[in-house]
Amino acid sequence: MTTASTGPATLTATDLSLRFGGTRALDGVSLRLTRGVTGLLGPNGAGKTTLLRVLATAVPPDGGAFTALGHDPGTAAGRLALRRTLGYLPQTPGFHPDFTAFGFVDYVAILKELTDRGARLREVRRVLEAVDLSEVRGTRIKRLSGGMRQRVALAAALVGEPDFLVLDEPTVGLDPEQRMRFRELIAQAGEGRTVLLSTHQTEDVAMLCHRVVVLARGRVHFEGTPADLTARAAGRVWSSTERDPNALAGWRTGTGSFRNIGDPPTGAELLAPTLEDGYLLTLDGESAEVTA
Amino acid sequence: MSTTTPTITEPAAPLTEPPREGHRAKAVLALARFETRELLQQIPVLFFFALYVVLIALRLMSKDGMDDFPVLNTVDRRTQATPLLFALALFICANSAALRSRKHGTVQQFGVLTMEPWRRTLAHLLSVVPYAGLTALVVAAEYTREALKPGAIGHGSLGELAVGPLSVLLAGVTGVLLARLLPSSFVPILFVIAVYVLGVLVSGLIDVRQEWVGWLDPIQFFSSGGGDPVPSDLLGRPAGWHALYVTGLCAVLACVALLVAGGRTRAVKAATALALAATAAGAIGQFPGDTSALDAARRTASDSPAKVQSCTTHDGSTYCSFPEWAGVRDDWAEVVDRVRSGAGGTAAEGRLTVRQRVYTDGGVEIDGAIDPSTTPGEVTVGTRWGGNRVPEFAVGVATVLVGGSEDVTTEPMCDARAVTIMWLVLGQDPTPTDTFRNVRLDDSTTGSGVVLAPTNGLSLSGPQTTVIRELLDRPRAEMTARVKAHWTELTSARTTTAQAAKLLGVEVPKEADQCEE
Repeated sequence: MTTASTGPATLTATDLSLRFGGTRALDGVSLRLTRGVTGLLGPNGAGKTTLLRVLATAVPPDGGAFTALGHDPGTAAGRLALRRTLGYLPQTPGFHPDFTAFGFVDYVAILKELTDRGARLREVRRVLEAVDLSEVRGTRIKRLSGGMRQRVALAAALVGEPDFLVLDEPTVGLDPEQRMRFRELIAQAGEGRTVLLSTHQTEDVAMLCHRVVVLARGRVHFEGTPADLTARAAGRVWSSTERDPNALAGWRTGTGSFRNIGDPPTGAELLAPTLEDGYLLTLDGESAEVTA
Repeated sequence: MSTTTPTITEPAAPLTEPPREGHRAKAVLALARFETRELLQQIPVLFFFALYVVLIALRLMSKDGMDDFPVLNTVDRRTQATPLLFALALFICANSAALRSRKHGTVQQFGVLTMEPWRRTLAHLLSVVPYAGLTALVVAAEYTREALKPGAIGHGSLGELAVGPLSVLLAGVTGVLLARLLPSSFVPILFVIAVYVLGVLVSGLIDVRQEWVGWLDPIQFFSSGGGDPVPSDLLGRPAGWHALYVTGLCAVLACVALLVAGGRTRAVKAATALALAATAAGAIGQFPGDTSALDAARRTASDSPAKVQSCTTHDGSTYCSFPEWAGVRDDWAEVVDRVRSGAGGTAAEGRLTVRQRVYTDGGVEIDGAIDPSTTPGEVTVGTRWGGNRVPEFAVGVATVLVGGSEDVTTEPMCDARAVTIMWLVLGQDPTPTDTFRNVRLDDSTTGSGVVLAPTNGLSLSGPQTTVIRELLDRPRAEMTARVKAHWTELTSARTTTAQAAKLLGVEVPKEADQCEE
């Protein structure tokens, strides 16, 4: 986990809401980000991707407002200024398969308006080196593996040294080694920058984030440090030989015993809580996953 | 995957610059350069550009004798249709490049990047400009190569030369615009088919070469109609206005693409207004309006060419041409001298007037025969020169030397004169049999046939052909001497072909000399 940073807010969102047809994707989201990596946890359909897209200025909110790095994206000038300092890695990044890795990142660098050709090319080489793709930079993207493509996308998000990075589930589909490498990269990227990382992996949050936001049904259910989220489960995790029917969730562990979370019965054998326990308890029935 | 610890090194210098408009323009240019390079890697663009260059090279290397005397007011128009396949390739590839983000799902991802979609569209539009420039270079090279030939005639028009590169630009711009209006990869193909069908329908309804509306077609396919070139001032082609019209059209389509992509800035709106004005001015300027002056000039050139021609005198003969053809008068004189050197009697000193004439009935550059001149001693010469036109002119010169005027060929010459004419044409020729074959309509050296000439052709009967062939097999000096010695008989309509054969000492043809055969 990176060094916790609780400095001044770099992003402040107030009462953000967004509706798609009859679905309320965001329902009064307010949050505050500081420099460092902030994890965004939530079940499927919680509104994580929608929130990231709003904060990345891909879609405007129906209601509410936010400022990031002092810029108000509600105005054209503010939106442009924010985009100049933004790096966005979407959940399923697209690629131009006939471009080389270098060409693709260079293309993104141009779209970010890095106009000094020499500096731009050095920057592209730098980020490709950072994601360990220097050796395949001349290879067309269609010939790269899925993990390599994901790193190309990360390089594209990192190019231009953005102060605000929005990463939507960047480690999905990566093998453990690749995921570890990504964590290192994200941790480094979080040094001195504001990084908002959406993930399903509580491990990612535990290892990377100084703050965490839990989102469910378009609403913020928790905002604090990972330790605070873990502490929510203190005294609410216990072991049993059978699944406790009163537990919010329970599953057989590798030792054969059941790990239950919820309100323990009297005399239950309490276990040390994890971040995931805290997360599941925070959702508390907000997601089908919790009781699965 | 490497397990070395990754390091994100800090950039050496700040990468982001203040968002000045000049800086943003530089970004657009950088993207345009990127897209230009991408287009260069597309196989259709490469292939059709290479094909275009090869076609030009082959044309420039062709050995047709008339190519040594290119008429530059047709050379300029000949450059217009050749790059069309290249333009089509650029149209498809520019469309595909503009649709790339949509095709590969990067629209939203790139939508949060600094450069707005309309600036990207501008970059796509600019990316095709170098290809128009490249086409301009090829056109310039082709034209310059022709213009530098010693026999080059007249001058071309910048307006005509601009159409080829502009058609390439128009194709690229249209490809980008279609991508913004109808973002589907099928659209370009359907568009090409629709344009073709529309073109066929329109050309079926009206003669686009003759109608003003035909000039609204940005690309003017060059088809001479089979006729010979005419002086530039008789063409009546509003080339400059047309170039302005196509330029304006390119600008209008580009501006529409920018507006559709969201670039509704004051500059784009102003540019759109300017482009519309230029297009309208070009379209209106093409309108022929009062053509009476042009019609009168054409009539004068056709009926009284002397009024608009200048003349030079060489060795007693006068050579009159339209001003642009002044450079080929020496070549005509060479032919006259050569033909006359074989003549006897007063013809050997005969003073001819070589008069350049054009056919303009019903328009210019349409296939039509020029009537033989009835003026004694006047020889007609056309506006094409070199290759077969040289011996054809020699036939005209010989006809006047033998018969006194061109109109003697109005009726078939069933006598010795045809033999004498052909001897004058071929007797001093370095490759007489080949020339004889080439100058005959049927490309043979046997039997009856028609020999081409600037006006009426010369009919040859079988026996006349036989005698001519026999003459060519004999020593030239001896035959020339005999022709000169019997000049009076050989130029008389009363001397038969058989008698001519006897006079010249060659075998008398066995078959009867019947011109009707």
